[in-house]
Amino acid sequence: MRKFVLNRLLQIIPLLLGISLLSFLVTRLAPGDPTALFIDPNIDPLELARVRANWGLDQPIFIQYLVWLKNALLLDFGRSYTTGLPVITEIGERLPMTLLLMISSFILTLLITIPVGVISAVKKNSWFDNLFTFISFAGMAIPTFWLGLMLMLVFSVKLHWLPAVGNLALPLITMTIGSLAGLTRYQRGAMLEVLNQEYIRVARAKGLPERVVIFKHALRNALLPTITILGLSLPDLFGGAFVIETIFAWPGMGRLGVQAIFQRNYPTIMGIVMLSAILIIVGNLLADIAYAIVDPRIRYEKK
Amino acid sequence: MAIAMDFDQEGILRSSLNGEVSILNPVLSTDNISSAVEGAIFNGLITFNEKLEVIPELAASWQASKDGKTWTFNLRRDVFWHDGRPFTSEDVVFTYNAILNPKVNSVRRSDYIINGQPIKFKALDKYTVQAVLPVPFAPFLVRMGMGIVPKHLLGGKDLNTASFNRRPVGTGPFIFKEWTSGDHVTVVRNPKYFLGAPKLAGIKYKMIADDNSQLVALEADEIDEAGIPPKDYERMKKKAGIKVYDYDVLLYIYLGFNLANPKFADLRVRQALAYATDKKQLVDLIFKGLASPASAPTAPISWAYNSNVPKYEYNPERAKKLLKEAGVNSLEFTILVNQGNKEREKAAVILQQQYKKVGVNVKVRVMEWSALLKIVNAPKDPKEFEAVIMGWSLGLDPDAYSIWHSSQYPAGFNFVKYSNKKVDRLLDQGRLTTDKNERKKIYAKIWQEIAADQPYIFLWYPKALTGIRDRVGGLSKPGPAGLFVHLEKVFIRNAQVRP
Repeated sequence: MRKFVLNRLLQIIPLLLGISLLSFLVTRLAPGDPTALFIDPNIDPLELARVRANWGLDQPIFIQYLVWLKNALLLDFGRSYTTGLPVITEIGERLPMTLLLMISSFILTLLITIPVGVISAVKKNSWFDNLFTFISFAGMAIPTFWLGLMLMLVFSVKLHWLPAVGNLALPLITMTIGSLAGLTRYQRGAMLEVLNQEYIRVARAKGLPERVVIFKHALRNALLPTITILGLSLPDLFGGAFVIETIFAWPGMGRLGVQAIFQRNYPTIMGIVMLSAILIIVGNLLADIAYAIVDPRIRYEKK
Repeated sequence: MAIAMDFDQEGILRSSLNGEVSILNPVLSTDNISSAVEGAIFNGLITFNEKLEVIPELAASWQASKDGKTWTFNLRRDVFWHDGRPFTSEDVVFTYNAILNPKVNSVRRSDYIINGQPIKFKALDKYTVQAVLPVPFAPFLVRMGMGIVPKHLLGGKDLNTASFNRRPVGTGPFIFKEWTSGDHVTVVRNPKYFLGAPKLAGIKYKMIADDNSQLVALEADEIDEAGIPPKDYERMKKKAGIKVYDYDVLLYIYLGFNLANPKFADLRVRQALAYATDKKQLVDLIFKGLASPASAPTAPISWAYNSNVPKYEYNPERAKKLLKEAGVNSLEFTILVNQGNKEREKAAVILQQQYKKVGVNVKVRVMEWSALLKIVNAPKDPKEFEAVIMGWSLGLDPDAYSIWHSSQYPAGFNFVKYSNKKVDRLLDQGRLTTDKNERKKIYAKIWQEIAADQPYIFLWYPKALTGIRDRVGGLSKPGPAGLFVHLEKVFIRNAQVRP
């Protein structure tokens, strides 16, 4: 197990290097530059050139990358062009808010997905199953920004139950509905498949109570696909946070990222990309480890 | 009483910002969101009243020498920084020298450089500042509104990275209290403010980047103030508890042609397109009367406005005739518009329909703002950029040198490559003349020349639409300077504020 984890950790290094080079090139090759937004007729373009040079943007792109990489290895991600703050500080102020939103949505999703998936599978085609099938498809079909605005109109403007902006409740609900939709389907499918396995029939034939059959024998195996999907859905959660944070004025990292992209604020974009990459890689690693724990057959790369 | 009333919470104005505050230092900030908050914390030597006329602020009075090159500002003696230190001429000189320092990332530097030479600022005594210009320069005084920053907190520090930029100290009506990144900035009243203590307990600026969310928050009574998109104007006007104001602003929207592109080199082609443009239909369809058709590169509320310019009233027959005369049998071009600006996107589609009637085919390309600017500002090939819908927000001074002077292409804002010797000469003259009536005549001639040449088709003059909750009082008369010209006079009805 230790060797397995170590191996995976070593693979991360070239992966991160590749991500950094690729995203550095993509952000720089996008048309526009951070001073292009100052289209004020009172500003002399020479001043913009001076500011660009102060930021080192007059250097060849490859040199800029090497400088960035050298500093990044020393955990210095530069300073934001717009705020003058170190990127680390800037992200540090915002990451906890994004994690709060993501983790609470993650937990809420799990708490709902597992029982709903199990009940839907056990009581296939019941009203309960049909209801959640409907909700899932609706959840997948509705765009997040629209759902968010509708929730605001109903709960904030009409009912005055929840604040529209700067409160956890509405963004959490919106985000959870979004990720719930697909996941309950997966859980239901996996559970159905396991319930048709021979060992379940054997367990039932042995006369074990139904509760034990379902929760001890079936669920444990049916959790595998859910864990995988959860690990893989981390990037989606980040992507969703970009939209949700903007709509609900939630001061997280997603909104910082959106703004940085529009402003071509390169140091901040790179900082957020690298941090997201690390979080996603770690998420996937944890999913793999959880996998190996749940199912002892899966200990990869064993010769 | 069971519940202790928090009087200070009661008198807080819940303002909203359509994006994020980035930096609270007037020398460095470049976005109007940060500037909005800075307006409450800092003062300039001069400021502007509702009619956008220059009025004294930190400077009590000023005189210009006969040759117009030496300006002397007499400062107020009753001004204190929020930390209690007195404000003096040293602070003024420090601020302007900081802007002029090439290492400081201030894009405002060129405002204080004339013909390549910086303005020299000198403290004559504790309360007198002198500015020496290389040549007389008409737009000088309106540029003296820059927020002054304290020397005793910033002297000897790297301004670009100073922690001050996050915890500013000013002389203004409100004292900085807290800033939660991406969420809000709070300022509280400065009881010793030199123009009188504010009636508000403070202002909480909530950052809400999304237009729709901002509107919802206003309707849900979570904020007191928000911009209203034209499409929501009628609906919001009917809402109880909200009053909607509309007022003119110094801004015009245009369709600009790349004159370096052979398609638009012939004046008759541009004139034909101008005749084919039904501006009235455009503003009626998009704004339902909340904007007016434009005809010149100025705005009706500017003191240099002059409506006596060639107007090219809608006349499709004339347009067809002109195209024929120019020998153009088929014309096809692309209009660029920036993504997310609904009004401009609609305008592009309406123009497409209007031009079709005279046999001109238009394609509309919606682009992200930075990407669009890149194409317009520095096209690799003149054919890449044909036409664009954009707007110019105008300064208080009518000087439009960097937009229209032929020297301002390619490095400058004359990205359509407009070149007219007479306009060049008049623009130079306009900057050097200090007499306002003389200048008015000069700019009237400039607008006439440009309108005749139609490098842009001037589309409309927009209005600002703002919704304010009824509980807010003490607003200034709606006008180009906004509704909060005298921030210290704004109050919340029925709120008691501790003295």
